[in-house]
Amino acid sequence: MNAPRSIDDYLKQLRVALEGQDPALMQDALYDAEEYLRAEVAAHPGKSEADVLELIASTYGAPDEVAAAYRDTEAKVKAALRTPAPPAAASTSPLRRFFGVYLDPRSYTALFYMLLTLATGIVYFTFVVTGLSLSAGFAILIIGVPFFLAFIGIARVIALGEGRLLEGITGQRMPRRPVHPGPAAGWWTRIGEMLKDVRTWTTLAYLLIMLPLGIIYFTLAITGLSVSAAFIGMPLLLLAQRLVWSHFDFADDITIAGVPGIPDSIPSDHPIFASVLLFVAGLIILTTLMHLARALVRGHASLAKSLLVVPGA
Amino acid sequence: MDDSLARKFQKDLNSGLVALVLLGVLDSSSEDLYGYEIAKRLQRANQGEALFKEGTIYPVLRALAAQGLLTSRVVPSYSGPPRRYYRITDEGRSMLRQWSDIWRQTRGFVDRFIEGTDA
Repeated sequence: MNAPRSIDDYLKQLRVALEGQDPALMQDALYDAEEYLRAEVAAHPGKSEADVLELIASTYGAPDEVAAAYRDTEAKVKAALRTPAPPAAASTSPLRRFFGVYLDPRSYTALFYMLLTLATGIVYFTFVVTGLSLSAGFAILIIGVPFFLAFIGIARVIALGEGRLLEGITGQRMPRRPVHPGPAAGWWTRIGEMLKDVRTWTTLAYLLIMLPLGIIYFTLAITGLSVSAAFIGMPLLLLAQRLVWSHFDFADDITIAGVPGIPDSIPSDHPIFASVLLFVAGLIILTTLMHLARALVRGHASLAKSLLVVPGA
Repeated sequence: MDDSLARKFQKDLNSGLVALVLLGVLDSSSEDLYGYEIAKRLQRANQGEALFKEGTIYPVLRALAAQGLLTSRVVPSYSGPPRRYYRITDEGRSMLRQWSDIWRQTRGFVDRFIEGTDA
């Protein structure tokens, strides 16, 4: 490989050297290099870009050296910070595998994320719809241009935040830096770049679909949680009825009003047996929900990555 | 051959030392620093041949931040990508003290042998 003669050249070579790495890592590495190179060129106003780049190999490092450093550090950090795999995952018993989900911290964070998405979905959706319509409205005014730039800038920061959140929850590697507007250029050139950039549109699309997705996730999580809580609490309720409230004239029936598929009351002949059955059913529903949450949010993180991260930067 | 072995030795040494040096730089700085500034401080400190390439400090900074030893914030920049400014945390300071002790012990221990063979 020839020694790079310009910043773009260097970044191109670095991209080639990082080929096959995680796109989020590539984006970080390229931005780090670009920050350094631009600052270095700016710090030597007397020298040409090519002259400065000649020095770079001995200070910053050649592209393949830098790529190797990123690969090594990334592998080490990943190994050190990875959430330990749930011990049950290794065991072969299907029953232990099924209930092992409770030992995996990610299933709890995934469930939390599902509940959170309703709120974030509403905020994102409102932000995009308001931003787009105001941009369209302002387009004929002089403030239309800075408004649109600010709107897209904020959308990119939101995308970064969403990525960091998802990485925290699922371990899916996401970028550490927001997409940046590139070297200083006129406002019109910047707007042109933004409009041409596919990532701008996929980011906005992601923020929009977060509302319907958030509604679905939230509904699934809340329904699963409340139904299983009601079922699991049934023996307790029965006990309370028997022990505490027995002097009130309660019927022995357990009533679950409005849950489809469940009779409105359980015959009083075997209330204990029935409540234990419900308890087991509740436990199964809750465990299934935890599995579902983990899988769903993992899938969601892949979707987010495909829409928010620049492929090959 | 000679040269590549020397380089490999340097690289093995660096894997832990870069982190220690970075913590030291950020601890002694009164303000938050971003990658390029840190790189320049290192460059000023070491006259002549650099012990490690500045391109290798960015992933290490990120690793330290992921371990909670540094905090960071992103600041937009007109001249290029947004900059990530780093600051050492209390946890980072106590880690720096521990690591410095380990480094002093190691250095003393190694020196005893190297200087022993010299004498």
